[in-house]
Amino acid sequence: MREYWVILRAELFGLFISPATYVASFYFLSLLAIGFRFFIESFTATDWILPPLSSLVVGLVFGSPGLIPFLTMRSFAEERRLGTLETLMSAPVGSISLVLGKWSASYLFFLIICGFAFCFPALLHFLFPEQGETLGFTQYEQWIGAWTFLMIFGASFTSVGIFASSITKNQMVAGMLSFTLLTLYLSIMAFSFGESSSLNSIDNFSDFWNACLGSFGHGLHKLQHFSVGLIDVGTIFHQLILSFLFLSLATLQVERLNH
Amino acid sequence: MSSETKPLPIVEVLNLRKRYGAIQALKGISFSIGKGEIVGFLGPNGAGKSTTLRILSGLIPADSGEAKVCGVDLAEEEGEVRRHIGYLAENNPLPEDLRVIEYLNFRARLKGLEGSRKRERTRIVLDICDLERKVSERKIGNLSKGFRQRVGIADALLAEPRLVILDEPTIGLDPRQSAITRKMMERLRGEVSFLLSSHILSEVEACCDRMIILSHGQIVTEGTLLELQKEFIHNTVFEIVAHGNRIDLQREIRRIDETCELIQDDPVEVTGKRRFTFSTGKGSEVAENILKRLLGVEQFKVSEFQITRPDLETIFLRATKKNWEDQDFLGRKKKRAEVANEQS
Repeated sequence: MREYWVILRAELFGLFISPATYVASFYFLSLLAIGFRFFIESFTATDWILPPLSSLVVGLVFGSPGLIPFLTMRSFAEERRLGTLETLMSAPVGSISLVLGKWSASYLFFLIICGFAFCFPALLHFLFPEQGETLGFTQYEQWIGAWTFLMIFGASFTSVGIFASSITKNQMVAGMLSFTLLTLYLSIMAFSFGESSSLNSIDNFSDFWNACLGSFGHGLHKLQHFSVGLIDVGTIFHQLILSFLFLSLATLQVERLNH
Repeated sequence: MSSETKPLPIVEVLNLRKRYGAIQALKGISFSIGKGEIVGFLGPNGAGKSTTLRILSGLIPADSGEAKVCGVDLAEEEGEVRRHIGYLAENNPLPEDLRVIEYLNFRARLKGLEGSRKRERTRIVLDICDLERKVSERKIGNLSKGFRQRVGIADALLAEPRLVILDEPTIGLDPRQSAITRKMMERLRGEVSFLLSSHILSEVEACCDRMIILSHGQIVTEGTLLELQKEFIHNTVFEIVAHGNRIDLQREIRRIDETCELIQDDPVEVTGKRRFTFSTGKGSEVAENILKRLLGVEQFKVSEFQITRPDLETIFLRATKKNWEDQDFLGRKKKRAEVANEQS
């Protein structure tokens, strides 16, 4: 456990001193802020049925393929390129602590950026309380739901990035791979949006498949629940399974590198 | 060294084997290292030195065999073993963007050092490795190879390890930097056991108590320099600087030792004398008798006499030669041809 904290601290320090993360975060937050501003301005003219806060969540989730690679691509790829992974493993540190430490650092950084993004509606509500109230920024269940949704998807997305970084020595390849995997996953979720089935109404293979995958493929569908403060445990569970799967793969890869 | 005075083994390796695909990197090696010993691990490229060091560091597992470090079985408690070991990897990879002090603090925390103990140990290793304050504040990426190597060694010594494994610690260093590394080992001699692999034989010769020579995944020999000299070099070689021609000198010498052979005959500049190198299979006493006889002969005017000890390079080449001949393709082909000849 001690080594996990040491690695987490060192990785966070590494992220904070890396110019690439600042540049990526700045552009990401700037684009998000612009998008959020225009969305709020034209909110009444749109047919958006969810609370306005969920637009920020959608922006963060769909923008994450552009951000998460910058947070995760260095973690193992750089260590492998420099050969420092061997030096790291010569200390009394296990591969699980190592993977968890690196993942936690990227995940925490992602949450920090999400925290900054959440400052936009908070600031809007602070400066214009009336408009904020009209837009539903005073309903705390929406904030909790939105934050929980980001937390669970952030966990699985960063684990995909860590896995991508563990399988190559090249940071760029790691970044492109995590971008591709995340875009692919978001595409699957976007294309299967609205096709969700329950186990009670399985008529054909497609329904069965949809029911089995559940919120693995219909995560965005569940945003409707989260955005109004309904916490869907199934989605949390599925995203945790995804995180566990990719972190296990990364751990196995680190173990394999040492053998 | 007698068995009573032999220090307790810090490392015990028994029949260690390791295979990488079709290549058998280690073919069942066994050795031990006593407390405070400095042991040199020698061998040609691909002999299995780094594999052995990586196994002992707990970085890779062995396929079979037993390895204990400080009495702890590597196969069972790999993590525990790493607490007793300081390891400097070949090429010494280090993170470029950290300052020396930041890196050492990180490594100290990783090795379980906290608070005042961490500060004290960091200060001590900076002092041992001669990394003064100015250097410790610099980024590792901006350091010269010598300083980087010292940072690696400082890291290896951080957690007061009982065994320090150094894989090619002086490769690419200038003589001054190499001397600093040697000085560091000398300073810790007796307290910490060192296992170092190196291609720089003169260095191993200068600082190691004992050598283990590996070739093709097998230990071909081990012992102190003196023991290896006795084992591999049977003839005594001596040099004489004298006047006169070599035929007369050889005739005079053969009166004492008929087997004595002249190996080399070189002129010595300006003096008009010559340097003769002889080899005898009858030991150093005969060589001394030869000197006594030559001193009595006016004609030769002997000005220098020296019994030369074979260096580690000669021993290394002799020790690995047979193994090379047995293992390499041409050697195996030759052997098969010999067997075929015998059969026919």
